[in-house]
Amino acid sequence: MGKAKKQSLQDETVDLSMAEKILVHYKDVDGCLIPVLQKIQNEYGYLRETIINLVSERLNMSVSEIIGVATFYSQFHLKPRGKHIIKVCCGTACHVKNAKSLSAKIVGRLKINANETTEDRMFTFEEVSCLGACGIAPVVVVDKDVHGTLSPDKLEDVLDRYVKPAA
Amino acid sequence: MSDINLKIDGKNLTVPKGTNIFMAAKNNGIYIPGLCYHPKLTQYGGCRLCMVEVTERGKTRHRFSCAQPVSEGIEVKTKTSEVEKYTKSVMEYLLAHHPLDCPTCDKSGECGLQDVTHDLKLSAGRFKTARLDEPMKRDNPLLEYNTNRCILCGRCVKVCKEIEGVSAIDYQNRGFKTVIGTAFNKPLDCSFCGGCVSVCPTGSWQDRTLKFRARPWELKKTPTICTYCAVGCTVVINSKKNQVMRITSDDDLGINEGNLCVKGKFGHEFINSSRRVETPLIRKIGILCPASWEEALDYVSKKFSEIMDEHGGKAIGGIGSEKCTNEDNYLFQKFCRTVLGTNNIDNISNIKSPSLNRLIQVSIKNRIVATSLEEIEKADTLFFVGADVTEAHPVVGSMARKAIRLNKTKLIVANARNIEFNSVARKDIRLNYNLGTQTILINTLIKIIVDEKLVDLGKVESSTENFKELRSLLKASDTGIRKASKLTNVSEDAIKSTSDLLAKSGKCFIICGKDIEEDPLAEDTIKALLNLCALINAGGSDKVSLVFSRVNNNTQGVNDMGVVPDFLPGYLDINDQSNRKTVEDSWGVKLSDDVSMKDTEDVFDLASSGKIKALYVMGENPIVSYPNGKKVKDAFKKVGFVVVQDNFLTETAQLADVVLPTSTYVEKEGTFTNMGMTVQRLNKVIEQVGNSKPDWQIVCDLAKKMGYSYSYTSPKQIMDEVSKSVPIYEGIENSDLAKEGFRWVSSVYNKSEPVKHRFEISESKLTDIKKSKEYPFVLLTGSSLRHQGTYSRNSSSLVSLASECFVEINRNNAQKVNIADGDMVKIESAQDKIQLKAKTTNRVPEGAVFVSEDYEWVPINNLRVNGYTNIKISKVK
Repeated sequence: MGKAKKQSLQDETVDLSMAEKILVHYKDVDGCLIPVLQKIQNEYGYLRETIINLVSERLNMSVSEIIGVATFYSQFHLKPRGKHIIKVCCGTACHVKNAKSLSAKIVGRLKINANETTEDRMFTFEEVSCLGACGIAPVVVVDKDVHGTLSPDKLEDVLDRYVKPAA
Repeated sequence: MSDINLKIDGKNLTVPKGTNIFMAAKNNGIYIPGLCYHPKLTQYGGCRLCMVEVTERGKTRHRFSCAQPVSEGIEVKTKTSEVEKYTKSVMEYLLAHHPLDCPTCDKSGECGLQDVTHDLKLSAGRFKTARLDEPMKRDNPLLEYNTNRCILCGRCVKVCKEIEGVSAIDYQNRGFKTVIGTAFNKPLDCSFCGGCVSVCPTGSWQDRTLKFRARPWELKKTPTICTYCAVGCTVVINSKKNQVMRITSDDDLGINEGNLCVKGKFGHEFINSSRRVETPLIRKIGILCPASWEEALDYVSKKFSEIMDEHGGKAIGGIGSEKCTNEDNYLFQKFCRTVLGTNNIDNISNIKSPSLNRLIQVSIKNRIVATSLEEIEKADTLFFVGADVTEAHPVVGSMARKAIRLNKTKLIVANARNIEFNSVARKDIRLNYNLGTQTILINTLIKIIVDEKLVDLGKVESSTENFKELRSLLKASDTGIRKASKLTNVSEDAIKSTSDLLAKSGKCFIICGKDIEEDPLAEDTIKALLNLCALINAGGSDKVSLVFSRVNNNTQGVNDMGVVPDFLPGYLDINDQSNRKTVEDSWGVKLSDDVSMKDTEDVFDLASSGKIKALYVMGENPIVSYPNGKKVKDAFKKVGFVVVQDNFLTETAQLADVVLPTSTYVEKEGTFTNMGMTVQRLNKVIEQVGNSKPDWQIVCDLAKKMGYSYSYTSPKQIMDEVSKSVPIYEGIENSDLAKEGFRWVSSVYNKSEPVKHRFEISESKLTDIKKSKEYPFVLLTGSSLRHQGTYSRNSSSLVSLASECFVEINRNNAQKVNIADGDMVKIESAQDKIQLKAKTTNRVPEGAVFVSEDYEWVPINNLRVNGYTNIKISKVK
């Protein structure tokens, strides 16, 4: 493990100073793992291995334990995420209203599957369970904006707005 | 603890408070199915199988028996139709997921899941199967993991965290996707204790050393004592057709509660290794040639007799074995002292730390020493001084973790290296002292305890002999806490809280480690440590238990049996005429007057100077294990005749004139004494491999050849003699050990009157570590978890797991000389040089490098001199 740790520390050039700050703040606080991971994810976008290793060393906790927690909660991400997060609702109402065609549209256009991120790191596409807006099904949420009663064509327009925001 | 009365299935039971219903039933022969609960782990309640019906104060409810402590007057039913219906459907779910690949599963026949299925008479389930089809994970030579068979009971996760303190595995993901695994799915990188295999109730975790070689029901299971380190764990040898197939453990046997380490669990392949010496060898025209026993023993006795006639018996030196049994060693020293007439006998541990035997005796007389290793579990404070428990005595580490987990025991680790010890306690005290300042550190603790009156000094004064002397010396000493902190590089706070903890917090268990014992200043440090213990013991109400680390399975025993120059068996001073007389009377032989060896001259010094003409080595490989490689090689060159008794053709055996093949621990009977001074009995598991013989038998045969009537026919007879002539083993022949029991805790503690402690004053000196411009680093050596000498070297799985001995270099030092992980590094001392791969770490202090001395094929002793060795390192291009 030592070897892998060392290498990743050298290869990636990540500024660890923010993570250090967070870890110093939570030093000697019992049960601080989740807040630490949340703060770090806020800062870095996702939980990268280098930083997890640092957290493991500082909190004196094994990497497996930390990853166990991080993979349990859907709020934590181990892979880089896009600038915009597209959530396609797959709840019952949206499903009936053919949410699948929306997913297919995204897959076709962005060339990524669910839970993946485009190469240019613009978009991350996620299929989620009910978002609680069944009245305007099918629903897609991009970042914090809710788009309802969509069709594949309408979705195309919505996506365009995020690709060329100024226009 | 008060008892609780309850009724299970109509049976009235009384069990201790705090027991759960599951264990209450199990201990009273009532079966409740269950797969996730394990008595040595924290309760989890995840398998949902142990449901019972509980009636309490007129209310009937269903409860999981593992999660429900007993309470007064409850009535439990384990076999109602509702319980059965529930349990059966839980099993149906499990089996819808579990592949029924029992025919090709090594676990079949000893599988918890299989047993429960059988007990519940389950056949077809109602649910559609939803099985995984993941490939078997085989990323290491010892363990393999099959996700498909896993029922997610979590036992392995808990063993890894609670017992081993490693947490290499954990649940990953959530819901249906949950698996047990490592972070980022990396290859397993753990201590490989095999605990996961032992507790797994299905065939998910498998021991690869067994794989497809035997079915569980073909295996003969014989408990015996492990042959690696000095903890003395009970191992269960699984054999088939006279071959050892694997090693398991039994939670109810021995001191280890079913916990083992990587060597104990997987290091058995040497027993049936093809490299075993199976027939006697005699050197003819320079080559070791096979010979018959008759021929070999004739030759040895003839040569020994010639040397004795020409130079006297003292010209023969004997080296006893830290690996062999007490019986082997007792007979060996008796042979040397009587038949050969030499007192020039020794063992490597005594050569490495010559003052230790005497000081252990002092600690026994003063009632400081622990009566057994298990006392650790009752301690309130643990203090590891210079002891690398994780590497050297892993199962003691497990015991310590248990104490920490269950009793909130406080832990203090003092070491010059930043050693690893992981437990659930995240805030233990670490005293990372500067190399060589250990005596100062301990004396400072004493000073603080006395100055601040942390213990009742009046009591100390009345119950010890010369407290005044100690006190006046402390007054005169100018090393106060501030100066000590500066010298040792340990913060004043840490020193202060250590002395507080030691003096105030109830039972205190101290392990004095090899780093202290093998330091040139060992005697002073241990004296200081004994003073510290006596101080706490006399002034506080609770008892200190001190344990001295021993390296090998019978290092304690070989010294007890008197394979040392200055003590007859049982630490009877050989220079004391009355002791000599007693032993001479019981053996019927006059002992040699010649006790020429002093602390400064060991057997190999005498051999180098030509005073010793022949060496008789039993089960030891001094060419590698003696701390000064150059000296020992010279000694062997000088000596005219060498007899080596061993399992393998070791480096020493290769220099021998006669090699006598011996049996390993599973092929013989006898006893080992562990470092907690508990004597434990071996069971013979398989017949002798090849033409090998147990060591005691060879010594016997040789004595007969030389005209002595050694009429022993079994180790039992030897032990009977030991119990008569060795005071500290008195009573062993009638103990449980002789009947069917395994263990015998010496009664020496109860027999002798406690002696008032006499403070042997030791000055706060610094170990003299030479500085050298040419050789700027200091070489540190120590134990390794994954290897230990000849046995692990010939266990192929251990070798493939740890095939490389690394040199550990401090990260900052490494950066300066541009050495990265995995670089080949040349390590050079004034004596010799060696090339090893580098591992950069913060475990080693700056200015030092660490190389394990347990990789037998890495002759690090060639570089070493007495004391600390100065070396230089350079990157090999």
